[in-house]
Amino acid sequence: MLAPLALNRWDFDAAAHLLVRAGFGGRAEEIEKLHALGPAKAISSLVDSQPESYAPPACADPHGQDELRNQLRDAVTPEQKQSVLKLLNERFRYEMSDLTRWWVTRMVNTRAPFLEKMTLFWHGHFATSGQKVRHAYKMWHQNEILRQNGLANFANLTKAISRDPAMMIWLDTVQSKKERPNENFAREVMELFSLGEGCYSESDVKEAARAWTGYRIDKDNQFRFAPAQFDSGLKTFLGETGSWNGDQIVDMIVSQPQCARFIAAKIWKFFAYEATDPKLIDALASEFRNVQYEIRPFMKQVFSAQEFYGTEALNSQIKSPVQFLVQAFRTMPIALPESSVLEFAFRQMGQVPFYPPSVKGWDGGNSWINTATLTFRYKLARQLVEGIDPQEIGLPKPLAMDMGGIRPATTPALLVDQIITASDRQQPQNVVEKLFVRIFQCSSKFELATRFREFLSNRSLPLEDSTIRGLAALMMTTPYYQLT
Amino acid sequence: MGAALSWTVPVFIQQTCMVMHAQALDSAVQGGTGRDHPILVVIQLAGGNDGLNTIIPFEDDLYFKARPTIGIPKNQVIPLEKGIGLHPSLGSVKALYESGNLAIIQGVGYPNPNRSHFRSTEIWQTASDANQILTKGWLGRYFDNCCRGEDPTVGVVLGEQLPEAFNANIPTGVAIGRPGNLGFDRTSDPSEAHLFSELNGLEPDATSGDSIGSLSGPNNSGLSALEYLQRTALDAQVSAERIRQMLRSSKNEVSYPRNQLGNSLGLIARLIAGGLPTRVYYASQGGYDTHAGQTNTHQRLLSEFSAALFAFCNDLKRKGIFDRVVVMTFSEFGRRVTENANGGTDHGTAAPLFVCGGGVNPGLYGKQPALDKLDSGDLFYGIDFRSVYSTILLNWMKAPAGKILGREFPKLSFV
Repeated sequence: MLAPLALNRWDFDAAAHLLVRAGFGGRAEEIEKLHALGPAKAISSLVDSQPESYAPPACADPHGQDELRNQLRDAVTPEQKQSVLKLLNERFRYEMSDLTRWWVTRMVNTRAPFLEKMTLFWHGHFATSGQKVRHAYKMWHQNEILRQNGLANFANLTKAISRDPAMMIWLDTVQSKKERPNENFAREVMELFSLGEGCYSESDVKEAARAWTGYRIDKDNQFRFAPAQFDSGLKTFLGETGSWNGDQIVDMIVSQPQCARFIAAKIWKFFAYEATDPKLIDALASEFRNVQYEIRPFMKQVFSAQEFYGTEALNSQIKSPVQFLVQAFRTMPIALPESSVLEFAFRQMGQVPFYPPSVKGWDGGNSWINTATLTFRYKLARQLVEGIDPQEIGLPKPLAMDMGGIRPATTPALLVDQIITASDRQQPQNVVEKLFVRIFQCSSKFELATRFREFLSNRSLPLEDSTIRGLAALMMTTPYYQLT
Repeated sequence: MGAALSWTVPVFIQQTCMVMHAQALDSAVQGGTGRDHPILVVIQLAGGNDGLNTIIPFEDDLYFKARPTIGIPKNQVIPLEKGIGLHPSLGSVKALYESGNLAIIQGVGYPNPNRSHFRSTEIWQTASDANQILTKGWLGRYFDNCCRGEDPTVGVVLGEQLPEAFNANIPTGVAIGRPGNLGFDRTSDPSEAHLFSELNGLEPDATSGDSIGSLSGPNNSGLSALEYLQRTALDAQVSAERIRQMLRSSKNEVSYPRNQLGNSLGLIARLIAGGLPTRVYYASQGGYDTHAGQTNTHQRLLSEFSAALFAFCNDLKRKGIFDRVVVMTFSEFGRRVTENANGGTDHGTAAPLFVCGGGVNPGLYGKQPALDKLDSGDLFYGIDFRSVYSTILLNWMKAPAGKILGREFPKLSFV
């Protein structure tokens, strides 16, 4: 049984920690508001909040590629075929970077940030890459599946993902035939999506693969079941024999206690820290089973647990590149750059949404940071404050086909007046306080803040924009800023 | 709660010095001085190089039958031996072969080949089986096993990002996109610069002298995220300074072709000559995905490759360091035997690769895959690519190949 956080430990910093982990952080007023609610209501305000309606991205048309696909079919000469392929490829790349910006914008602006954070978690869990799927519509469709099911029931989510066209291409279910079942999805669904290695046999993989036959994609780019391709014969899976279909296989997987352990531990790692204490994992797994794999109530338990606010959790995680950027845009008056800049920045930092490096998702943790990615984070942090100059961060000059070969414009610098008042400029400690809370998402009672106070101590007053931006950039080019 | 967050100046330098002593006892760790250890240069030919038009079985009628329009005419092939010849653009490669510096490993691949660029590249980068997903790269595992505590520049990539092959438990390696872009931006405000150094744990004298290597933590697995970040910040600063210093102190002795691979190899030669303690350099050349109109594209790519490699070898020879370097090429797959309707070739399987250097035992290794016995239109591999890795690791890098690759693979004798 997980013990809830003691009420007397619910302070500003606990509320800030909750907001940054369950979402992407916020301004001091938002943290204050959350703090004032008390833990139960604060958690509910995040976990139960309903998303606003949100306009879909340009690629959300299932028939968006049809015209080019028809041209490709009708192409006679190799040259014609080649030029259509080129157009398809350009369209795909354009739509993907637009889709990335669409999702990032949503993460930045939504009033239900937890839903987006959970969607990000599931994206890394059911990791599917546009690199193989090659169709932005399908990648967006999967993103919606994760959003719509990501807070409901884990078994249903897994079933929905098994019918998701992007996943079906990614792990080859579309090619799976009665005579030649493809084992790719069957293997990964157990190894990576539910049980973990060593918790099933090779024969379980083979039998499960037979259950996921007959999954096809129709002309509208939706799931279609082709009964003629389905292997309806008897299968023996995890010791039970029946003419199982894919959904029944999922139900049998989820009925394994190991599934609750595996998913609960992975969720804990993403939102809190990597648990090493088997008792903690047992407690999490038993909570997850108690709520019948319903994700929303389980997440409330996670965010209520005292361990979630313990020393192992606080400021112990290296921000993912998505967290790094979304948190910056959510907490500071900084404009989002154009999609090509955004995508480039993600690539340099090692996490492009919709392009996980493999079906294992992103490793996370220390692997986000090497000399190259850290150098880039520092460069980008300074540019966020001073305005992103695409050339300065190294964005290659776009080819003529993209936006006429013109580099995107430099974004505006941090709008100092929106966070610092005229009277603050006379009070350096106010400036430190305000920037510190926004940037580090915790109160300025920590020793680190005194360094910045000293730094401003002998500046002439009122403090100028350049000094204040310099301080913000300095705060953001530290190891501390990489943590959350 | 306040105590939870003791954000003070690092203790990690002290801590890593203690770990250093423990590490010295570990015999697998290879110390490098920058002057004497063996160096591996990996060149990735991205996109799937057409092996059959690189190393050509020009006396096999089946070759011309399968490739009526893109087959290289017999009289243009540069013959090597036994009915095997080189693409006409590889004249310089022939010269390296004749001077005894080049080994050609034929028919390299792996069981149950995957024809996706993405997945097959991943298989080559992580040295996994076709049905196995590994997240650490083969070079990363070499760094983990043999290079703990070394300078971060033990692995250097010419490009903006580290390849998957570099993924390691202890992230290692430096990516040089543009040399002008190395290291942290300097601010003009001295008090800002000072606080930046302090908060990042960058000691004022950390960039001078031979203490550099010893400041890098040998094993950060015991370090907190904060300490790990501080270590990496120091590594970034130190390696950038070092690389700039090396580039100032050494020049190319020959001129390189003005293309991406030529630039990369030119820089690598200068860094080696400058004495950077790097064991693995990584460069790449893209564009090999020749589905259509292959003839001209492939000719251009191979000419660029050939000229860049030749310049690099000559540069190293003039610098007197050719014996310390082995170059290995690879591509995620070869291409199908039969040309397609667009004058190109689609994704295939096994292909040859080159190994080149002063210490290489020259010659042809392995067999040209048979054209009369195909695996649904594709070549059967003869040599597992991990045999090539294993040979390089064991014979050249003197590293425990079995441990790094997860099991033993038959060893070859090209080095």
